[in-house]
Amino acid sequence: MIGNDQKTSYQGLKRYIVFILCLAAALPLGIIGGTLYYQYQSSLSQKVTSQLVSICRQHKESIERFLLETSSALRVVTQLESLERITQKDALQRTFNILQREYNNAFEDIGVIDAQGSHIAYVGPFDLLGKNYLNAAWFRETLDRKIFISDVFLGLRQVPHFIIAVAHGSGQQAWILRATVNAAKFGAIVENVRLGRTGEAFIVSREGFYQTRSRTGGQVMEQLKSKALDLSFFEGVKFWNVKDESGRKVLRAKSWMKDNSWLLVVQQDVDDAFGELYATRNMAILIFILGACLIGLVTFFTTRLLVRRIESTDKARKALDEQLIQSQKLASIGELSAGIAHEINNPLAVIGEEAGWMQDLLKRENLKDLKELDDFKDSLREISQQAGRCKEITHKLLSFARKMESVIKDVDLNKLIEDVLAMRERDATYSNIDLVKQFHPHLPMIYSDPSLLRQVLLNLVNNAMDAIQKGGKITVTTDIGEGDSVEIRVSDTGTGIPQENLSKIFDPFFTTKPPGKGTGLGLSICHGIIDKLGGSISVTSQVGKGTTFSIKLPLEKAKGAT
Amino acid sequence: MMQRILIVDDEERFRTTLGKRLTERDLDVETVGSGEEAIKIIKEKLFDVVVLDVKMPGMDGIETLAEIKKVNPNLEVLMLTGHASVDSAVDGMRLGAYDYLMKPCEIDILMEKINGAYDIKAGRDERIRQAEIRRMVDRSPS
Repeated sequence: MIGNDQKTSYQGLKRYIVFILCLAAALPLGIIGGTLYYQYQSSLSQKVTSQLVSICRQHKESIERFLLETSSALRVVTQLESLERITQKDALQRTFNILQREYNNAFEDIGVIDAQGSHIAYVGPFDLLGKNYLNAAWFRETLDRKIFISDVFLGLRQVPHFIIAVAHGSGQQAWILRATVNAAKFGAIVENVRLGRTGEAFIVSREGFYQTRSRTGGQVMEQLKSKALDLSFFEGVKFWNVKDESGRKVLRAKSWMKDNSWLLVVQQDVDDAFGELYATRNMAILIFILGACLIGLVTFFTTRLLVRRIESTDKARKALDEQLIQSQKLASIGELSAGIAHEINNPLAVIGEEAGWMQDLLKRENLKDLKELDDFKDSLREISQQAGRCKEITHKLLSFARKMESVIKDVDLNKLIEDVLAMRERDATYSNIDLVKQFHPHLPMIYSDPSLLRQVLLNLVNNAMDAIQKGGKITVTTDIGEGDSVEIRVSDTGTGIPQENLSKIFDPFFTTKPPGKGTGLGLSICHGIIDKLGGSISVTSQVGKGTTFSIKLPLEKAKGAT
Repeated sequence: MMQRILIVDDEERFRTTLGKRLTERDLDVETVGSGEEAIKIIKEKLFDVVVLDVKMPGMDGIETLAEIKKVNPNLEVLMLTGHASVDSAVDGMRLGAYDYLMKPCEIDILMEKINGAYDIKAGRDERIRQAEIRRMVDRSPS
């Protein structure tokens, strides 16, 4: 019936519908999700960037202010005090105390160095009095530039620090007021920057040494790993999104300060900065996947249902087509044979009459003496007989043709059922089945289509015989029903029909027979025929006991029913 | 008295041969080839039984039957049909035909039916005659 090709085409149709529906549903979902994610990402990235840049700018400003203010303060001291006064221990101590108070204990010590490089006055925890700095680089620089701020270095004391030195006077009268800032204390200004889990700020010198500690990079004075930072110059604050030397993705804001000798770096891991975004993204992806799964499932099941419907509709239509083609074929064969039979019938009648006339003639007295009389008689008898045989054939053809037409006429149901049972009698005997007739003796004639009724009854009796198989009883009862109706019941003592199948028994294609043995159309056609004749058919059954089909037919076929 | 038979059939050879055979059996036979001719001839001559083919061109058997019954309700009609037109034969009998026969038919069966039809007609004619006599007797002055 349904070929493999068709099966595949249904599969194809299913796949196509599922694909289109999924696409139509998932595409907008994806676009909305993607757009929202993109918007969110760009606004978050803007936020993170501006945060890093502003931290960088703020710290740059505060560091530069600190350096400027401290060096200005030292310069004011050199201008206010004479060398004689400042080298007195208590005067220097007082100046140091004021500076410490004003600048929040930023200084470690303070000292005065004369033009020969000798440390001639000192206040601080180290024993540096009398040390000579004539050969130190910073000493020369200070004399040249009047104000000098060094990078972080160890110096004589072997502790990381940097110097703020101010020179006063010139030649042999020149002297230098020098204060040192502990690198660790200074570093706290930037090291205190906390940004998420991984955010930090640190300072690197132009030569590539850490001026403050970096949590991810290194200790103070440690040299940068090569290529860890791009040390080229630029103006203002710049922002990068880079991979650092260990492969972590970082967001980094940088700015040069202190006359382009220190580089302030503020950075944060991308993963950290966008952690919130990733969580949101994962949630979005999860929702998308769940949504897509739901859409997929719903689509799949809906489509499967749909395609099954289409398939069964196609199947039913095909069967109907086949039935229609079959009946049309039979009808045209019927018409053709009826036509031929009619045409032959008339000459046949003439032949019969002619032969009969000759037989009549041979009976006349004057022909009694004809020598070949017996031969003539024999021959004519043969002609009559053969014409009779032809007549049988044409009448059979005509009666076959008549079955194709639906003819509504008086039907003696008892007689009709008797005929049907007679057809099955022999098979029933073989299978040891008793055919029992319980006919109502005064059943009225009904006005209906005998050939259709015959078909229905034959079908019911065949089904009953199939249900019994070996040994049993089929009872056919006729009775007068309520109103103007008659009732036919076909009961068998067969296997019976389970309750769950009873409701489906008149459905097209419902069959319990193995494939190839039954089309599942028999009872549905019966139902259709009885409907057409204005009657009704019903079934009752008990598993193991048997089944009864009941047909109710009106005495006269309902008007309007076709 | 000889039974007077009218055969109506469009097949010329069939009706003449059948006519000869019935004449051979001592019947007074006339044959015509159409319904129209049949109506014409029953107006001119008296018949007892009409053997009428159902399937004819022009006026068909059923129409002819109806017309015959109009012209002379006392005429008995036997319908001749092919198998396929049994239904019209039934219609014909509802319209008052005596019986029907299937073509081609056995001559003996045809004779039987003709005799049956004739007997009915003869019986009816007899009763009509009796009634007429009674009427005349009633009318005569006593």
